Amino acid sequence: MSPFVIRDDSSDDIAVIEVDGYVDFDAAPALKRSIVRQIDAGSRHLVIDLSAAEFIDSTAIGVLVGALKRLQESSGSLAVVCTNENILNIFEIVGLDDMIPLHRSRDDVARAA
Amino acid sequence: MLPAPPEAPRSPDPPSGDFATPELRLPAKRSELQRGREYADQAAASFGFGEPERFQFVFAVNEAVTNAIRHGTADQAGTIGLRIAAHGDRLTVDVCDCGPFVAPAADDGTPMPDHGRGFALMAKLMDELEVWARPEGTTIRLAKRRRAMSNRAKVDRG
Repeated sequence: MSPFVIRDDSSDDIAVIEVDGYVDFDAAPALKRSIVRQIDAGSRHLVIDLSAAEFIDSTAIGVLVGALKRLQESSGSLAVVCTNENILNIFEIVGLDDMIPLHRSRDDVARAA
Repeated sequence: MLPAPPEAPRSPDPPSGDFATPELRLPAKRSELQRGREYADQAAASFGFGEPERFQFVFAVNEAVTNAIRHGTADQAGTIGLRIAAHGDRLTVDVCDCGPFVAPAADDGTPMPDHGRGFALMAKLMDELEVWARPEGTTIRLAKRRRAMSNRAKVDRG
């Protein structure tokens, strides 16, 4: 069983990518492919939902930052949903919270839009 | 800023102390990272780390193992080594490979770099980070201290 699952849910130019499990150096390429597929399909506003993610590493953080840069080039946006305090702590240490809006739920993303 | 590799001795003694795990020889494949994390997590739990220290210890070990798989050199059997030992209030892990040390990319001022956060995170999350770079291989030694219970109790009471 894969410890990492991606589910895409897109409508119009907003896409949600739901990520479960452990997002590490092994899983990060699949996350990157999923993001690139959505952007290439025309999505300009991306939500990465990490609500069910148990672990992320610096490689996955690099993928998120790469996605942010690519979306900003086309006046798009990236938001991350995360409730795991340990992961949020890592995001704070690397300053990701200054680059990418972090939300506690998808409803929070919708309210902030 | 990385600590300078120690002048002598040329290689670290194996971590030792109150308990030491048998060395894990991990195939140098990215699909093996989960096994490395489980090894670190079991040791962290046995040592008595609570959250967030337990997660932080596993996170840092995962970064060191990732670096060894990504940039290091496996032994003839295709593996890298992990050893964990506890001594007093410190839990220490050695991650060893058979290749030269590949220094993390210097911060060139590029805003929002896509990579290069692993070492900074290891240094931030652990209390000690040593690099033993020697001709026969590289050892990254990380150590994390257990917070005093009295301090934690004070925090818990707010």
